[in-house]
Amino acid sequence: MINNKENANKINKNVLSIKNLYLYFKTHAGNVNAVDNVSFDLKKNEAVVVLGESGCGKSSLVKAILRILPRNTSRYDGKIYLGEDETMCMSEEEYRKKIRWKRMSLVSQAAMTSLNPVLKVGSQVIEPLVIGQKMPKDKALDIAKEMFQNVGVPLDFIGRYAFELSGGMRQRVAIAMALITSPDLVILDEPTSALDVLTQCNIMNLLKRIKKEQDASFILVTHDIATSSELATRVVVMYAGEIIESCDADAFFTRPMHPYSQKLMASVPKLHGKDELEFIEGKPPSLIGLKPGCRFAPRCEKRHGNCSQMPPVTGNGDNFVKCWLYVSSKGE
Amino acid sequence: MTNNKKRESTLQRIGKYTILRLITLFITVVVGVYLTIIIANMGGYVDELVKGQVQESLTMRLTADESFRNLPKENREALLQRELALEFDRLGLNDPFLVRSMRFLLRAIKLDFGTANHMISASGSNKVRLIIGEQLPPTLLLMGTSNLLLFFIVMLIALYLSRRYGSYSDRFFTSLSPLSSMPSWFYGIFLILVFAALLRILPFGGMLGAPPPERGSWEYVASVLKHMILPVTSLTVSALFASIYSWRTFFLIFSSEDYVDMAKAKGLPSGLIRRRYILRPTLPTIITSFSLMLITMWMGAMVTEKVFQWPGLGTVIVNAVGLYDTAVIVGTTIIYGYLLAITVFLLDFVYALVDPRVKIGAGNRS
Repeated sequence: MINNKENANKINKNVLSIKNLYLYFKTHAGNVNAVDNVSFDLKKNEAVVVLGESGCGKSSLVKAILRILPRNTSRYDGKIYLGEDETMCMSEEEYRKKIRWKRMSLVSQAAMTSLNPVLKVGSQVIEPLVIGQKMPKDKALDIAKEMFQNVGVPLDFIGRYAFELSGGMRQRVAIAMALITSPDLVILDEPTSALDVLTQCNIMNLLKRIKKEQDASFILVTHDIATSSELATRVVVMYAGEIIESCDADAFFTRPMHPYSQKLMASVPKLHGKDELEFIEGKPPSLIGLKPGCRFAPRCEKRHGNCSQMPPVTGNGDNFVKCWLYVSSKGE
Repeated sequence: MTNNKKRESTLQRIGKYTILRLITLFITVVVGVYLTIIIANMGGYVDELVKGQVQESLTMRLTADESFRNLPKENREALLQRELALEFDRLGLNDPFLVRSMRFLLRAIKLDFGTANHMISASGSNKVRLIIGEQLPPTLLLMGTSNLLLFFIVMLIALYLSRRYGSYSDRFFTSLSPLSSMPSWFYGIFLILVFAALLRILPFGGMLGAPPPERGSWEYVASVLKHMILPVTSLTVSALFASIYSWRTFFLIFSSEDYVDMAKAKGLPSGLIRRRYILRPTLPTIITSFSLMLITMWMGAMVTEKVFQWPGLGTVIVNAVGLYDTAVIVGTTIIYGYLLAITVFLLDFVYALVDPRVKIGAGNRS
């Protein structure tokens, strides 16, 4: 554990590195290409925000990274490096013992249902310590209390059940649970989408503070651009199972490159905005039986002849975009 | 301090819940018993039969008396009528049926069943209480064994199948579920045919071999166990497949909950996930389904006991129906009612223990 961290510090390279990740599901209608050749890197103390509409494979990406695969998975390959370790070649048991909740943890999309209704929240929070690290129960409870204090949950909630907690409190408990083993990487799958604005704001502030204090890395999956801009250091945009743009947060929020990202940014409400909000016509394509070519082309206002072919990735390193507009400008 | 207070209020809530359940179950039993009394008495018609019997036996007794025979005819008739009226009064047969049925009800609830009209217990008494008392332990043995067996077998198989959804074994068991539409006594007859009549490896029925081994010896236990195999099997099998089907579905529904994925991401071993994150949350649903199933199963069990000549309550009630012995019918039904109520109550209590959400009393969520 300590060795791994020292290694990671020495190299100070990527916490997470994903290369050509695929996750397909088999359904009656055909194969669902939920995650289609996705690659990106995450550096230490970075917070990557994965943006996109509903149904474009964001949550499947989370499932693929965490290896929580549904029964109907038909294709799951690619390479996932956590620090130095390649996790795809690990057996399930090795993966469980070495990676799960020790190196990365999850705050799930549905805080309301991500806690077991018949177990006290305290005993759920300490499970990774007690079972994963064989820590005595009272010591683990002390750490849990510290965590609860950190995320702003009253200490006596430790002996309560999930149904006795409000939505915001449950979400905080879920965050405390994700942080209790101080993993290198915390994946947050729409942690605030079911909450009211004030609670959202509280939770985002909490995450910002934790990022500063615990130097953890985050992947924040969301469709809520406004709140995510609080935390993001880098933005990754997903569309129809692919990553179409990856960019520094500051650059992205002021000057997005891909036409889809531009439209996405234009649809964010602004205070006292004079213009009508923009929207993107149509729906994201079904992930079953995708046609060749740029997947956004049918809805794109800037489409041209080339768009019937798959655009190549242009850009350097972490900042890249997958669009013909940027290919032609470079080529000529 | 606050913790103590909280625990106290939890105890209070469980206490309140328990008392409330006891009262409702008691009312259910009373209603059931009263209906039985009315049906078994055929709305009062049985009393006419009883009156006839009383008149007959009184006439016989008086005519056997020489001094009675020597009386003049009018006097004899008057004396007979007077004695008869006295006897009816003594037995309370002159009261309206409503009053009499209430009297029966009160005695029945207090387990005072009176004497049987025809039946005699194995020890030679005609007290209904003794008849039932002697036959109750074998019924408890049979039902207890098959209910426990059923619970654990179904739970294990259902949990196994839910992890192999859509597999060959899963489809095999679910396609067998219509077999549960047949009652247990049908399986009883079938099993007797195969294992007793054809293969001759298990006894046809009864509880002990002949000559009966000494009570309390190992041979006695072995003999009882050997005689239990077929009835227990038929009771269990009749309820097995439908329960497996529904429990497997419960497990499937609960294993697609988010907290199960979460537990997997947390790196908990799969055995623990199954116990703590699938079994525990499903248990309340399963207990409800189990208590409903028991009610159906107990009804079929009476006939099954008779099929196997098992010396239990079921055999008693079937015999009593044949002999039209009202006191015994009512008595056995009451005992069945009480047994079922106790079972359901225990399951309810277990339900409250395994599901923390139940303990919340009416509406004060804080």
